[in-house]
Amino acid sequence: MTTYGMVIDLDKCYGCRACMVACKIENNTPEGHFWMYMFRLEEGEYPNAKTTFLPRPCMHCEDAPCVTVCPVKARYKEENGTTSMDWDKCMGCRYCMIACPYGVNYFGWEEPEDISYLDWDDPDVKAATGGAVPGYANPDLDGRYGEKNAHIAGGAHKHGIVGKCSFCIHRVEKGLDPACVDNCPGLAMHFGDLDDPESNVSQLLQKQVGFQLLDETNTNPRVHYIGGSPPSKDARQLDIVKGKE
Amino acid sequence: MATISPMGRRIEISPGLVAWLGVLAALILLGFVNFIRQSTEGHHLTGLTNDNPWGLYIVGFVFFVGTSAGATIIGFMIHGFERKDYAPLGTRALVFGLMSLIGAILFITVDVGSIPRMMRLPFIWRNETSMFTYTSITYYFFAVLLVAEIYLAVKITRGQGSDSEKLWAKWLAIGAVPFALIVVHAPHGSLFAVVKAREFWNTPLLPPHFAVLALLSGISAMTLVATASSAASGRQVLSKETFSHLGALLGLFIAIAAVMDVFDFIVFSYSDTITGNTAMDFLRGSNLPFSIVHVGGYAVALTILLTKRGRQTPWLTVAAAVTLVAIASYRYNLTIVGQAPPLMPFLESPDYFPTWTESSIALAIVSFVLLGYSVLTRVLPMEEDAGSLSEIVKE
Ligand code: SF4
Ligand code: SF4
Ligand code: SF4
Repeated sequence: MTTYGMVIDLDKCYGCRACMVACKIENNTPEGHFWMYMFRLEEGEYPNAKTTFLPRPCMHCEDAPCVTVCPVKARYKEENGTTSMDWDKCMGCRYCMIACPYGVNYFGWEEPEDISYLDWDDPDVKAATGGAVPGYANPDLDGRYGEKNAHIAGGAHKHGIVGKCSFCIHRVEKGLDPACVDNCPGLAMHFGDLDDPESNVSQLLQKQVGFQLLDETNTNPRVHYIGGSPPSKDARQLDIVKGKE
Repeated sequence: MATISPMGRRIEISPGLVAWLGVLAALILLGFVNFIRQSTEGHHLTGLTNDNPWGLYIVGFVFFVGTSAGATIIGFMIHGFERKDYAPLGTRALVFGLMSLIGAILFITVDVGSIPRMMRLPFIWRNETSMFTYTSITYYFFAVLLVAEIYLAVKITRGQGSDSEKLWAKWLAIGAVPFALIVVHAPHGSLFAVVKAREFWNTPLLPPHFAVLALLSGISAMTLVATASSAASGRQVLSKETFSHLGALLGLFIAIAAVMDVFDFIVFSYSDTITGNTAMDFLRGSNLPFSIVHVGGYAVALTILLTKRGRQTPWLTVAAAVTLVAIASYRYNLTIVGQAPPLMPFLESPDYFPTWTESSIALAIVSFVLLGYSVLTRVLPMEEDAGSLSEIVKE
């Protein structure tokens, strides 16, 4: 059996947010949707204040509350341990967003071309694009995938459905790492099979004691953090990135 | 002007009725236009965000599922407690319950991102572990039960009910109360209570609280139905004693709901968690107007109902209306404050307020419920027409 998981070395992360950008480019997510979000945090008080970083993809929880509550099974577990999202089934009730303790889900409040970073009708933009509006989809995910034969999130972004990190399963199937892992210049992110004791992720977890985010929720995330500690209660966010207001 | 409905009932078409239906129709039209805008332009026209994904529509949904309990309460009074003095309210209560349930389903319909996919729930697509699946099944069964009860009530009123149909009507009415409370309303509270990530909701006390609030909403709604029908027909549909009994019941359930709220408040004010502190901040801060209407509404209604005059019209009408507004405020606070505590300590609390588009769609659904009720209670035979109807039917 394979159980995909991620290990993020907080000691190596220097907060460049390349993972956020890589995820955006790989998955064509609309503005304000951050399947990967990298929190820059400030903890403690001057002169003992310090800055810490916390990249946050979907945790692909073993006991995923989003899967339990989704009324139509649009959210489900694949045999490889990923929590998948069938966008073609999602009815947009947003119960998964309510139930997820990590806030990793994003609803399509409007069609993606209406919330893109660029105004496609702007004459300067039109001159560069020739009037073409990009398809907000991941071309590698436009078919059906996995044992559920589902349309995986990322295959489309549309008004009225929820999207979230897919663990870049289309890349993993080809033997590649997820885009955020591949593009991390600090080599802080690692991806592999948590069931294989020889895998890079298992080796890292054997060498260092890690933690899982909000472990009190008993969701057993498949994303583990090493080289740091969970954010303290007094942590404050710096440099908040939002969508277009 | 008067006309005869297809069911043989004489309908007085007064200028007041035409104006009332006209206003409701105008509000429905306005809301419908905004619903089309929301469907085509997007849900960003609402005040909802990724940090606050449930808002006014869910409040309306929860509110109307609650008021639908009114249908069962009156039926139980008539058949369970043998209070025949409530009989004039029987069919009206059922019609109001059905329209409430339709209103609740409409609120979910305007909230979801894809209506065609929602329609497949629960018979084509369903997840057995989801409370949403479970409750959607119960709403359908409840609607079928109410339609069956209305069908039998109409037949009996028209003098066409057989003995076995009368027996069915009786046992359906008696069975409807436990069905509504245990199968519909308490699990309805579980929709929120099972969400571990939202500590404000995650308590086993929420389902019984929802059941009590359903009874209170139902009694308030039925009181308004009785007083409004009396005002519209120009004669009291219930006797003075029955109004007084209804008022006492209303007071009793306000007191029970208020006691539950007091203990909720005490527990949260002692809680030193992020959720407890944030919830208290919201209830005393940005949501204060709703907290005042909730607590003040119960206090005003109880004060009115403690007096003898308060348990008769017009004061009884005021008490019931104020109670319904207080319940709506409680539902609003529950839904919004439940999402206020940040999921992680360093995140900001969301800032939600319904937009004009959202409010007009909500108002349209409320108007639709009232319009449906107003029309159906005029077209369908009501208990007080039993004698004249049977003559029409025989002719
Ligand atoms: S992090 Fe949230 S969305 Fe991802 S699997 Fe866990 S509960 Fe589901
Ligand atoms: S929004 Fe979609 S994925 Fe989320 S619970 Fe509803 S149907 Fe399931
Ligand atoms: S695994 Fe893929 S989808 Fe998930 S955060 Fe990384 S790049 Fe984004």
